[in-house]
Amino acid sequence: MINLPTSSLPAILVGLPILVATLSLFFRSRGKAVVGLLGSLLTAGLALIAFVEVAQLGSVIHILGGWEPPLGILLRMDPLAVVFIGMTALVGVFISLFAWWYFRAQESTNGKFSLFWPLWLFLWAGLNGLFLSNDLFNLFVTIEVIGICAVALAVLSGKTDSLFAGLRYLLAAITGSMAYLFGVALIYGSTGTLDLGLLGQILEPGKTTTFALLVITFGLMVKMAGFPFHFWLPPAHSSALAPVSALLSALVVKGAFYILLRLWAEVFGISLTYAGGQLIGLAGAVAVIWGSWQAFMQTNLKLIIAHSSVAQLGYLLMIFPLLILAPGVVAGSADWLSPAWTAGVYQVMAHAFAKASFFLSAGIIIMAQGHDHKGSLRDLASRMPMTTMAIGIAGVSLIGLPPSGGFFAKWMLLKGVFLSGQLWWAPVILTGSFLTAGYVFMLLRLAFAPARDQEPFRPVPHSLQVVALLLALGSFLIVFPAENLIQFLESSETFGSGIESIMEGGAYGNN
Amino acid sequence: MSVLIDSLLAILAIYLALQCLLAQRLIQTVFIFFAFGLALALTWVRLGAIDVAITEAAIAAGFMGVLFLDALRDFSPAVSKKQQNLEAVRNPLPGNDTKRPILPRLALGLGLVLFLLISLEAVWNTPEGKGLTVVTGVMLPDSGVEHPVTAVLLNFRAYDTWLEIGVILMGLLAIFAAGGKEVYRKSGMTAEDPVLRQVILFFTPILFLFGAFLLYFGKSGPGGAFPAGVLWGAIGILLHLGGRPVLTVIPRWLLYLILTIGPGFFILLGFLLMTTGSTLFEYPPAYAGILILIVETMAAISIAAALTAIFTNLNQMSEEPDKIESNN
Repeated sequence: MINLPTSSLPAILVGLPILVATLSLFFRSRGKAVVGLLGSLLTAGLALIAFVEVAQLGSVIHILGGWEPPLGILLRMDPLAVVFIGMTALVGVFISLFAWWYFRAQESTNGKFSLFWPLWLFLWAGLNGLFLSNDLFNLFVTIEVIGICAVALAVLSGKTDSLFAGLRYLLAAITGSMAYLFGVALIYGSTGTLDLGLLGQILEPGKTTTFALLVITFGLMVKMAGFPFHFWLPPAHSSALAPVSALLSALVVKGAFYILLRLWAEVFGISLTYAGGQLIGLAGAVAVIWGSWQAFMQTNLKLIIAHSSVAQLGYLLMIFPLLILAPGVVAGSADWLSPAWTAGVYQVMAHAFAKASFFLSAGIIIMAQGHDHKGSLRDLASRMPMTTMAIGIAGVSLIGLPPSGGFFAKWMLLKGVFLSGQLWWAPVILTGSFLTAGYVFMLLRLAFAPARDQEPFRPVPHSLQVVALLLALGSFLIVFPAENLIQFLESSETFGSGIESIMEGGAYGNN
Repeated sequence: MSVLIDSLLAILAIYLALQCLLAQRLIQTVFIFFAFGLALALTWVRLGAIDVAITEAAIAAGFMGVLFLDALRDFSPAVSKKQQNLEAVRNPLPGNDTKRPILPRLALGLGLVLFLLISLEAVWNTPEGKGLTVVTGVMLPDSGVEHPVTAVLLNFRAYDTWLEIGVILMGLLAIFAAGGKEVYRKSGMTAEDPVLRQVILFFTPILFLFGAFLLYFGKSGPGGAFPAGVLWGAIGILLHLGGRPVLTVIPRWLLYLILTIGPGFFILLGFLLMTTGSTLFEYPPAYAGILILIVETMAAISIAAALTAIFTNLNQMSEEPDKIESNN
């Protein structure tokens, strides 16, 4: 990996948002917002440049301090990383724009909301750092940065229920971090290295490795709200401010999934077993059914959306059993591996756009009506057609109807399921879609229903509605470059091309 | 002999941890937690990690203890009322805990014991030290410092350290976000307490000098920015308690300057070095020693300011009477 071309972009992608966030602290509330918005645009621009650079040069690295691993830390920007960075930038810039108008619209109520900007930029730097990191301990540090900023953002609304939910979130996040750190300590103790690339080569199967894999997976499952550790997500995500809910659901939980994917594929391939893959897939399957059902049963819009996140994250866990070959299958003949893991990446992107749009729409409705009981959606179609359309489009993507990004992800996942012969996952995917259709159509039915009583209805700035609609459209537009994007992902020197040789069944149980 | 001391420490730490969890009253929990922190610090000393020991003692027993006591004082009116009610309920009904279903707790307990056993086995099976000690030793002459821990923290893995210094600042912002911001106000001097005054006069210079010593000594031995910052932070807390609120009387820009100078200077230096063609945090070997000392000093100032600010914000938050009302 040392031989790859070097670039200074990875360092700037982490350093610049932190520098701007630090700078913004010196300003009062209005100045914080200006600096914060400019910083968001700047970071998004950098992400675009980074994407172009990787598309041209292939994977690039940045050796921090000039010390090569295992002594130092190496930042690695490969197609997978840069796709996640690009997604964060696109979704992030829309959420930033929404936040700018959203906080301006309710400026009189609270000046404390301006803390959103430094915290969001710190969070963004943490996410970029996580996607770029190639070091087990550095990943822990980025998780810490993300966790503390996410909790701070979640409690920013200052309401009592958000403080309770935030405390619960904090405790869950710390439990996850500690479990992860324990695993890292075991790995470092037994191998003397933290670099993912080196670990992938030298890690030997054994009790220590298996246990480290278990605690690390547990920690990351807590972080990404994988079933049955999803309990903290619905209250935390539903009680936060609208732009914050969007950030937490669209981006923050995806960070843990990204680490899980990388570690399972690049580091722990040797210790994975077929049964282990089936188990994590089962957790995902239960999450899909349970989360969708719970979403269907809720009466508050934001809780519906938050429970829907639990279900949509379940699909991400369901790609893992497909990546681990059953005993006796040769990697060369396993042509479903690529559809399976690219389905995961597409599910991440489709969900990020759709869910961000959904939460922003919920924020618009709360702004207009003052509450988010699902009855507040009545007659929405005539009052706010644009927001109704955003909810409809985002909902269609969540269900997975063609030609949305959600459809593409689920279709690829089904393709992986059929080609691999693990047919038992197929009914789960279909049932999940039906249940999702249930709550999305319930919301849309309400939006077209006549209003029962004349509730007070405050006008909402058009700009907010446009942003939510654009994000919803984004979940459709990502389908168009799909073929190129998948080719780009598979062309990676460090991840995609190597995945087939890495996840060959594992040393335990199969041989 | 050393085996005896080690086993004594191990038993003491576990015993204190259990006592801390099982204590009936919050005040007991807090004081046992102090003792636990000190036992842990002694354990670190026995393990040869003096810097971790100093930080553990200062943070776990010192700083956390102050925060706990402060929180306890805020909660005491609410808690004591609740505890009276609880005791009134408990006395006629001695088994109020057993009303909860026993099976989930049993399963949880069993699960935890199993987890402990399996993790003990995993730790036991970890192969003997393959760490990076040898590589660090070889590269040490190029790092600009003589102590391997400082070399790792400030040079080989400076990126991690920079982010961790940032995390302290983010922790302060999180406290602001949770509601500590509005009550950040200037508070006048409180009445002079002769004993407190003598304590401040006596301890401030000692703490300052000891912190500065640790900072400089970090070059060649255990020490560095984190322990130094914690000690300097203690000065801020002491002065605040003595009615000299250092952070609230200085101008706003200066406050944010000292809060952010640590991570801010670090990354600016990194970017500056990048413009000369090297990578982030790649010091020119000839200047590595002095640059590391400057970075550490800035970091220690920011850590001290952040710890003081965390304490003063939480402390002042509770002094706002309507705040207490709304918490109840």
